Amino acid sequence: MVNQIHKVLIIGGGHTDIGHETELDGVIYQTIQTFQRLGIKTLLLDNNPYSISLESVQPSNMFIQSVTVDNARNIIEKEQPDAILPTIGGLLAIRVTQELLETGVLGENEVRILGMPPLALQQISNPALTQQFLTQINQPVIRSQVVKDFDDAFDVLRDIGYPVIIKSVSPWGDANRQLCENEDQLDSALESGFEQSRIHQCVIEQSVVGNKEIEMVAIRDKSGTKLLISGIENMDPIGIHSGDSIMFVPTQTLTDREFQTLRDATLSIIQALKITGVLHTQFALNSETHSYYVTKISPYFDRSVSLAAKATGYPLAHVIANLATELQLAEIKLPDNYAKQIALMEPTVDHVVAKFPLWPFEDVPSADDHLNTVMKSVGSTIGIGRSTEEAMLKALRSSQLSPKDVLPQIKLNDNELIDQLIHARSTQIFALVEALRRHYQVDELSELTKIDPFYFYKIKHLIKIETETIANPMDAKTLEKAKYFGFGDGMIAGMWQVSIDAIRTFAKESQILPTYKAVEPTAGEFDKVSTIYYSTFETENESKKLEAKSALVVGRGGNQLGPNTSADYFTVSLLNQLRKADYKTIIINTNPNALSLIPQLSDKQYVDPIQLGDLLNIIELEHPEVIFIPGNRHYLTRELKKRRLPVVVLPPDQEAGVELSEQANLELSLFVTDDEVTPIELVRLLSGDHSNQLDQVSGFKTPPTLSEDEQNLIITQAVAEAKKRNLRGLVQVLFLQSQDQVKFTGIRPARLTEIAFLNKVTGVNWIRILVQQKLGLLSPDSLATFKLNLHPDRVVLMQFNYPFNQLRVKNQAGSSQQQVGAEIAFGSTDEIARQELSNTEQKNK
Amino acid sequence: MAERYLILEDGSSFKGEGFGSSATTTGQVVFNTSMTGYQEIVTDQIYHNQIIVFSQPTIGSTGINHDSYESILPTAKGMVVRDLASISKNRQRRLSLDQFLKQNNIPGISGIDTRYIIRKLRKTGTIKGSIVDVDDDHAFDQLHATVLTNQQVAQVSTPKPYPNPNTGSNVVVIDFGLKNGILRQLSKRDCNVTVLPWSATAESITNLDPDGVILSTGPGSPFDLPETVLDMIREIQSKVPLFAIGLGHELFALANNATVTPMLSEHHGANHPIRQIITNQIIFAAQGQGYAIDAKSVDREKLIITYVDLINGTVQGLRHRDFPAFSVQFFPDAAPGPDDSLDIFDEFTEIMSTREE
Repeated sequence: MVNQIHKVLIIGGGHTDIGHETELDGVIYQTIQTFQRLGIKTLLLDNNPYSISLESVQPSNMFIQSVTVDNARNIIEKEQPDAILPTIGGLLAIRVTQELLETGVLGENEVRILGMPPLALQQISNPALTQQFLTQINQPVIRSQVVKDFDDAFDVLRDIGYPVIIKSVSPWGDANRQLCENEDQLDSALESGFEQSRIHQCVIEQSVVGNKEIEMVAIRDKSGTKLLISGIENMDPIGIHSGDSIMFVPTQTLTDREFQTLRDATLSIIQALKITGVLHTQFALNSETHSYYVTKISPYFDRSVSLAAKATGYPLAHVIANLATELQLAEIKLPDNYAKQIALMEPTVDHVVAKFPLWPFEDVPSADDHLNTVMKSVGSTIGIGRSTEEAMLKALRSSQLSPKDVLPQIKLNDNELIDQLIHARSTQIFALVEALRRHYQVDELSELTKIDPFYFYKIKHLIKIETETIANPMDAKTLEKAKYFGFGDGMIAGMWQVSIDAIRTFAKESQILPTYKAVEPTAGEFDKVSTIYYSTFETENESKKLEAKSALVVGRGGNQLGPNTSADYFTVSLLNQLRKADYKTIIINTNPNALSLIPQLSDKQYVDPIQLGDLLNIIELEHPEVIFIPGNRHYLTRELKKRRLPVVVLPPDQEAGVELSEQANLELSLFVTDDEVTPIELVRLLSGDHSNQLDQVSGFKTPPTLSEDEQNLIITQAVAEAKKRNLRGLVQVLFLQSQDQVKFTGIRPARLTEIAFLNKVTGVNWIRILVQQKLGLLSPDSLATFKLNLHPDRVVLMQFNYPFNQLRVKNQAGSSQQQVGAEIAFGSTDEIARQELSNTEQKNK
Repeated sequence: MAERYLILEDGSSFKGEGFGSSATTTGQVVFNTSMTGYQEIVTDQIYHNQIIVFSQPTIGSTGINHDSYESILPTAKGMVVRDLASISKNRQRRLSLDQFLKQNNIPGISGIDTRYIIRKLRKTGTIKGSIVDVDDDHAFDQLHATVLTNQQVAQVSTPKPYPNPNTGSNVVVIDFGLKNGILRQLSKRDCNVTVLPWSATAESITNLDPDGVILSTGPGSPFDLPETVLDMIREIQSKVPLFAIGLGHELFALANNATVTPMLSEHHGANHPIRQIITNQIIFAAQGQGYAIDAKSVDREKLIITYVDLINGTVQGLRHRDFPAFSVQFFPDAAPGPDDSLDIFDEFTEIMSTREE
C-alpha cells in the first residue's frame, strides 16, 4: 500500500490558539520525518511563523499560506498529491478536508484521505450524523432535541427527565446554557430561551453536569488491530471544559470494570469508524449508576492525544504516521531509541502524571475567570511522580509564574470561599486547599464541587506534610518525607526560613538524593526504551551522566500569553544547533505540548519543575559543559551564575547599552560581532491601535514603505548607534517615523518573536549564527556574503493573534504580551499579503 | 502506620510503611503490571503463597467493591505498593483496602520503589521475600528457611461440590483455584454450573452428564498435581467439550504430552499483544503465568496452537484436532483486564449447544 503513496499534502493547524498549542506542529514535524524514512514526499500548508515543521520540508514543498479550502485546492490542483492527511492539523484541518471532499476537489484530483475513510470524516463533521452513528453502534449518547414551544419541551422532558439544559437556537447574542432541575427553572429558561432565539427555538438536552469526565486515546491499524494508549481522568466534573481541568494519567479513581467499559466503547468506536490512526474519546461517567455517555469523538491528534503520548512515553506520533500510510502495527519500524516491540504493546506506566492549566488572566485582566464549558486556559504544565501527591505538587509548582518556587495563598472569607467552590474559578486549586485547611469535610466538599473524594484526601495529605514540615525545621526524616511527596527546595526553604543552599547541603548530608526514573510504556519490561526522565526520591536512579560533552537547555515551561510559542521554537533551534556543534543535548521542560520535548530533538529530556533546586539537581548529575537559558529568566540566571555555573543567556541578556523610549514604528535588525555590524532586515512595527507604542506592537511588515534616502539614513545611523555600544549578537535599532522625519528611539537585543520572523523572511537561521557566536565557532567571513535585501516585490506580514473572542473580551487592541499565536503571510504586494491574513480571520469567524 | 521492611532472598531490604495485617509474611515475590483492578488481583487465587508487587503506583483509590471479588477469601501473602490510598466506597463507606487486608490477615507495605523491585525481579527471576518488622539476620534466616507449600491447589480448591443453578447448558467447572470471573461469564450465558473439587474423577464428572467441562485457573505449578488429574483430562476431553484456562491450560497441554517449563520471572499484566493465529487478529487480555508451554514440544498431529504472545513468544492457546477441546493461557474472563477475548466463552457455549442437539 505504501508504494502507492508518493506525495502527501499535510494540512497544518494554523496559528496556535486556546485549545491547540505547539503539539500540532510537533506531530507534523515527526510525521514529516517518518514520511521521509518511508520515501514519501510531503507538502505542507501552514502559516505559523513559529513552526519547526515548515523548516523541515524543502522550500518548494512548503506552502506558507493561510489554511483555507481555496489555498488547499490550489495546491492540490497544481501539485497533484496522491493523498491528503487531515488528522494532525487539528479541527481546522478536518474542516478544510471535509469541505475539499464535499466540493469534489479530492475526487476530481484523485486524492485519497489518509487516516480515516471519507464516511468517517463526514460522520464526525456533522453532530447529527455523529449522534446517529453512535446510536447505531449502541453507544449511549446524550439526548437532545430542538423544540418550538412549551408543550414540545415538556413532551421531550417526560422522555429524558431532569436535569436538562436549555440552549437557544441561533440566538441574538451570546446565549447561556441554562441548567434546569425542576419545572420552575425549566419554565423560565424556556421563556428566555425562546425570546433570545431568532427563530423561536430551543434545544433541550439531557444534563450530565457533575459526572466524571474521562477520556481515552486509542489507535487502530488497517487490519483492525486496536490498542488503548491511555486513559485520562479529569479531576473536574463535566461542566468545566476538559482543557481547563486538572488532569491525571493514568485514571485515578476508576474501578477495573469502569475502565474496561470505556476502553471497550473506545475500541468499538474506532473499529466502526475504520480509523487508521488515533481516536480520542470523551465520556461522562456516572459512578453511582455505573452508566456513561459518549460526549465527544475526535479521530485526530489533539492536546489529549499529546498528553497520552507524553505521559506514557509511547512513540505515538511515529506510529500514527505509519498507520496513516496503511502499514500494520506489527510492521512498523520505530526510531532506534525504541525497543522494536513497543509499538504493539498497550502502554502500562508506573508513574502518575498530573496536568495543570495555565491562565491568561494576568495578561487579560478584564476577562472573567469563572470556569465553564468554554475553554480559557492557554497552556499547561505537567508534573510526573510516583504518587498522586508528588505528581500534583510538581505540576502545581511548575504552573506558578514565580521563579522562587513558592505557592500563593488566597484570602477569602467563608462566603467567598463557598462561592468559589460551587462556581469554580481559575484559582480553584487554592480554594480547595484553603477549604481543607479550614477543615471543611471531604464529603461536603465533594458534594459542592462534584470532585471525587480521592483528590481531597490527597490534598489533605499534602497539607498534613506541610504542617509537619513547618513544625520540624532541619529534621532529616521530615525533609525526606516532604521531598518524597514533591515539595521543592524553595518551598521547604520558605517554610524553614533558611536559604535554598542550606536545604541542599542538609539534604546531601542526610543522604536525601533525587533518583531519576524513565518515562516508558512497559513498566520496566524493556531496558533503554526511553530518554525521558523525571525525578523522585526512591532507591534506584536510572539516569546516568551522558558520556560526551553535553549542553543543558532550560525550557520555557508551560505556554502563557506572550512570546512563549516563539520561545519554544527558539529552544528547538538551539538544541539543533548545539547538536551540530557536537554537543549531547539535554532539555528540561514541563510543557506537555512543547516542541522541545520531542525525544528525537535532544539526547535526554527531563520533565521536572523548572525551579532552581530541581535544575541544580540535574546539573549536579549531568555536569553539562554549558547551560543555555533562552529568553529572560533573571532569577534563575543570577542564581546559576552565583554558583559559577557556565550559563549562557540567549538572546544575550544585555542590560548595559540598552536604550528604549516608549515609541517606535521601524526596526532595523543587525548582527553585531566584535569586528563587524551587518544589517539584516528593516521592519515596520505595526500596532493595532496605531499608537506606535512599543508595548502595543501587534505585528511586523517588511519592507516598510520608505524612500531610499530614508532607508540609507536609518542604516547608517543604526550601524553607528550599534558601534557606540557593547551589544553583541542580534541587535535591534528602533526608530520612530512621523510626518517627515525618522528619529532614533532605542536599541536592544532582538526579541524571540522577531527572530522567528527574521528567520522566515531572510531564509537564514539566525539562531544558528547566535549559537556559533556564543561558542566561538563563527568564522569571521561567514556573514560576508549576507546582504540586506529589501525585496521591493515581496511583502512579508506577520500578525499576532489574540484570544479575546474566546475570552469574551471586547474592544481590546492587543499587545505583543497578549499574543496567543501568530500568522505570517507572503505576497507580491501589501494588499495580497493582507488578504492572506484576513482570509484566516474570516475563516475564524 | 508502622515502619516495616520488605526483604528479599537476594539479601536486599526495603523500608516502607506497613498496612493491612501486621503479621510477618513470606511468599514468592511476583509483580503485576495491570493499570487497574487491585481488588481483583489480590483476591485472585492464583496468588496463593505470593507477595504481589504492583507497578501501578496508586493503589486503594476505589476501595473494595462488591462486584470486584475474584474469590471471597483471598489467599495472597502480601501487597507491595508505592502509594496507598485509603478510600471506602461501599454504601456504608466502611471497607477500605487497608481494612480488607486486616480482616483477611494479609500484610501490605507501601512507600516502596516498586519500579526498582520489578526491574530487579525481571533479572533475578521469581524469588522469595518477606514483609517483616525488623530486617535483621534473623529475619533473613527465617526467610531462607521457609519452605513454601506445593499443595497450593488443594489449599484453595473447594473441598465440596456446589451448584450455581441456571437454565442453560449444563457445565461442570473443576476448581483448581477458581476465579469468580469464570462463573460470572457462565452466569451471563445462563449456564447451569456445578463446581467440583480439583480431585474430581472423570467418573464423578460424567455422572453429572455435563454439556461441557471447564478446567479453571489456579495457583502454583502444574507439576505439583498428581498424574490422576491428567488421566481425568485425557478421558474427559474425548467425551465432553472441554475448555481450560490458565493452570487448566497447562494441565491440558501436559495431558496431551506437551512440555511445560517454568519462566524466569512470572508474567502478570495485560499489555502483551496476543495474536489469534487463525484470524491474524491481535488482542489484549489479562495474563498471569509462571509456566509456559514449549511450542516445539506441541504434537502438531494432535494439537493446534491457536494463540501466541508476540512479546515473549509463549503459546497462549491450544486446540485439540480430534476432540472439541481447547485451552487458553490468558484469562478471557478479564476481571481485571481487557474484554477483548470474552467471545471465547460464546464459542464454548456454542460448542455445547451444538452437542446438546
